[in-house]
Amino acid sequence: MIPIILATQTHAPGFFEQFGVDWPHFIAQLLTMLVVLYVLNRYAYKPLLDLLEERRRRIAESMAQAEQVKQELAKAQEAREKIIADAGKQAQQLIDEARAAAQRQGDQQLQQAIAQAEALIAKAREATDLDRQRMLTELKREVGRLVVETTAKVTGKVLTPDDQRRLAEETSKQLVA
Amino acid sequence: MPTFAEPLFHIGPLPVTNSMLVAWIVAAGLIALVQLGTRKVQLLPGGLQNFLEFVVEGLHDLLEGIIGPDFVKRTFPFMATVFIFILCCNWSGLIPGFATIGWGHATEHGFKVTTPLLRPANADVNMTGAMALTFTVLWCVWYVQAHGVGGALKHLFAPKGGMHGAILLVLVPVFAFVGLLELVSIFFVRPLGLTIRLFGNIYAGDNLLEAMAVVIPPPFSALTMLPFYFLELIVGVVQALVFMLLCAAFTTAAIMHEEEGH
Repeated sequence: MIPIILATQTHAPGFFEQFGVDWPHFIAQLLTMLVVLYVLNRYAYKPLLDLLEERRRRIAESMAQAEQVKQELAKAQEAREKIIADAGKQAQQLIDEARAAAQRQGDQQLQQAIAQAEALIAKAREATDLDRQRMLTELKREVGRLVVETTAKVTGKVLTPDDQRRLAEETSKQLVA
Repeated sequence: MPTFAEPLFHIGPLPVTNSMLVAWIVAAGLIALVQLGTRKVQLLPGGLQNFLEFVVEGLHDLLEGIIGPDFVKRTFPFMATVFIFILCCNWSGLIPGFATIGWGHATEHGFKVTTPLLRPANADVNMTGAMALTFTVLWCVWYVQAHGVGGALKHLFAPKGGMHGAILLVLVPVFAFVGLLELVSIFFVRPLGLTIRLFGNIYAGDNLLEAMAVVIPPPFSALTMLPFYFLELIVGVVQALVFMLLCAAFTTAAIMHEEEGH
């Protein structure tokens, strides 16, 4: 190494000669560098940076969407709780209304039943009165007939129809009294 | 190892040097890797695409933090390519066979390779200079894009600090001179610094490994080489990072407007 440098210094070469700098080599190395620059830029940096940007954009979008979904979920949860609360209130209202309606209906049915029972009792009482009247009439007639027969047998005479009617009427009057 | 890359063969009038060959191999490898990794780009990455995304996203985030989200879109392809290409070239130079396979002659201490088949691409000023020149040209484009032609000239030569009156007249030539110095820095010092720093580190590293290889006879020379081998692995990353970060820092300083604190 040292002899080479010494040898070159002996001939006192310039900077360019000592380091082998000349235009053909310089341009060749420049072109190599530019080709690498072009190829890396065209096939590596652009697609990869675009991809990284796209990925960054998608991540940002996903995060924004996730945040939106979270907010919507919170809103939905709030709405659900409100709906449940409203439904509870409505259900309670319906139950109260149903209970009141049932109470009303029950009272109404009870009144009807009472009325029906009273009507039945009245009918029964009426029927009983009619039977009593009918039995009393039959009793009067029978007692009258027995009085007429007994009177005829005791007196030993034949009673006329007028006598018979008069005796029956008197007997009836006495029975009523 | 000589300070210059040596020609191996000719393609037409162009002599192909050992460092050019390595640069082409690395370029072909990178192109193949990228083609394989991005052949079917999927939203859910796997394997090679995952690795490429890791590299691209990591570099993009790093540069975005330095240059800012607006200008990083324009500057990222160059900055990232510079880092990846320099790193691959540097590390490829550590593959066994570099500088040890080639043409040479027998000496008293064994066969000495004088023209290696493969030479680290960044141990060639043509390569590092090409990258520095590309950056300088692109830097000018970004500078004009950020300020406009008039704005760029004003940014370079006009007095700063909102001065008025006589002091302004005094300071106009001073700022004009500072602008000229800035031009020298932009078109000479910075490119030369980028070129020589990278070349020097890689060339020195390769020579260091070469020197360690002959400290003791092989195969025991591996013991002396091994620590420096790991050192060169770190130097490979650091130099790639330094080149890229310097480019990013120069660009950031250029595109920053005066009200932003230049």
